[in-house]
Amino acid sequence: MAEIRVRSEIAGSVWKIEVAVGDAVAEDDSLVIIESMKMEIPLLAPQAGIVTEILVIEGEAIAEGDIAVILG
Amino acid sequence: MSFEDVLAEHARRRDKALGMGGAEKLARRRAEGNRNARERLDLLLDPGSFTESGLFAAGIRPEVRDRTPADGKIAGFGRIEGRMVAVVANDFTVLGASSSVVNMKKIRHVKEAASARGLPLVLLGESSGARMPDRMGAAGRGSFGQDPAEYQRLRQSPWVSAQLGPCYGSSTWYACMSDFVVMRKGATMAVASDRVTAMAINQPVDAQTLGGWQLQTEVTGLVDLAVDTDDEAIAAVRRFLSYLPSHAGEAPPVVPVPPGSDAAGAAILDLVPAERNRVYDMRKVIGAIVDRDSLFEVKPRFGRSLVTGLARLDGHSVGIIANNPLYKGGAIDVDACLKVTSFLVLCDSYNVPIVTLVDQPGFLIGLEGEQRGAPGRIINWMNALQLVTMPKISVILRKSYGQAYLNMGGGRNSDEVACWPSADLGFMDPVVAMNVLYGLKEADDPERYHTLHAELTRDTSPYALAELYEAQAVIDPRETRAWLIAMLEVHRLRRTGGVGHHRLANWPTSY
Repeated sequence: MAEIRVRSEIAGSVWKIEVAVGDAVAEDDSLVIIESMKMEIPLLAPQAGIVTEILVIEGEAIAEGDIAVILG
Repeated sequence: MSFEDVLAEHARRRDKALGMGGAEKLARRRAEGNRNARERLDLLLDPGSFTESGLFAAGIRPEVRDRTPADGKIAGFGRIEGRMVAVVANDFTVLGASSSVVNMKKIRHVKEAASARGLPLVLLGESSGARMPDRMGAAGRGSFGQDPAEYQRLRQSPWVSAQLGPCYGSSTWYACMSDFVVMRKGATMAVASDRVTAMAINQPVDAQTLGGWQLQTEVTGLVDLAVDTDDEAIAAVRRFLSYLPSHAGEAPPVVPVPPGSDAAGAAILDLVPAERNRVYDMRKVIGAIVDRDSLFEVKPRFGRSLVTGLARLDGHSVGIIANNPLYKGGAIDVDACLKVTSFLVLCDSYNVPIVTLVDQPGFLIGLEGEQRGAPGRIINWMNALQLVTMPKISVILRKSYGQAYLNMGGGRNSDEVACWPSADLGFMDPVVAMNVLYGLKEADDPERYHTLHAELTRDTSPYALAELYEAQAVIDPRETRAWLIAMLEVHRLRRTGGVGHHRLANWPTSY
């Protein structure tokens, strides 16, 4: 399967990483929770896949469009 | 010649025309798992209801006349759940259902009958574009463009397009003009095919990248729904039409209320978190309010921080507009603005009242939005909202901040407004406001910060809004369904038989 770059849809900070490399995820599973506008907003898997890379760390800022997770 | 001979000849001609592109082509299509045009019509229409228009039409050039049954586009009239509709089904086995003089006359005729006589129009798309050499040269230029009203969209009756294969030319142009477009995954919709495009731009390009379902549902929003099969697409066409009247001059049909529709509301408190920093999926809340299983989402993959969908309350069609905090915290981006504007046009044009459910922190702020002209899209939405003449009923669940408070039906942009006790009415997030107004962050002077913060947030409660009669009610969330049903009944357009004034009827079809 082609790799899927899951990008943040909003600017904020990475609050919680919910998956680990190697995890199998289903479509709409929460991958990372982003804190923005005083809300905890999940970044959801756009389709099923395996987590191959996590490009963010908890606590750091994230911009709209930044790749957070790669699924393969 | 006896009548017998004449009738035998007639049967021969009829069977040949019904045979589409011939047994071999049809067999190949079947082997590939593709339905043909007449099979699609059988699925779409009530059994035995189809009356064909132009079975014996044929290609304009003498050399193809004998191998262009129905000139590649099957047209006519039939019934969907008892209501008459006009239909066009492209027959890809006949010269790729390419457009030419005679078949476009057929489309024009059923299209005009639909508009003039108040029939929905269903277009089953799969076409290779303009027929060559019919459209070549000056004579080719002269063979079309004969109808100065061909591309007027006045919304006299609903148009629905199903993209069921490669859709070049008329299948795509008319889809852009349609009120609802469903695409079977694998079909394509684009200005030019991958082959033509690759030649023009001198590099290889993939058909799905150019015009596939992901592009059209997620990026452009030109397609409202993507499904896996022809059968699902046709089921979606029938389901969409069931919410609407046959034409703009009558109210939508009223249907029985499914048993159990009142029960879901009791659990509504479980669907919205008490913690204000937690998000939830608004679609579940909608499900607990509307008649059971009645939500039919439009553009679910586009502008997802806002939900648009047809539904029913007490058997009556409604248009739901609802922020979805699950995506972007409910912040409203440009795609959401585009989506809701076209949805307002749809509902208002076919006499469907609007129900708005609000939980939004304002417009999404950022560079991408500004580069896409966010202010213009926001105002377009207000232009459309204020031209709506159907009833607009609004419930504020939690936040409604900023200018977007108006777009989401605040003030006199709704006929009635209710708030949940959890509603929070403000201009912007208090932390940002503190910074803007006082240049103060909490860490700088905690005591002064908290005093000023308390002042700023004091008057954001729903009771403060209700004191000013800006909300006509504050309700227990479990009463939402009952309150909406009551308000919709109050504001039913009795004096015109449920029919609005259609000031959005000639709004552009894409923008």
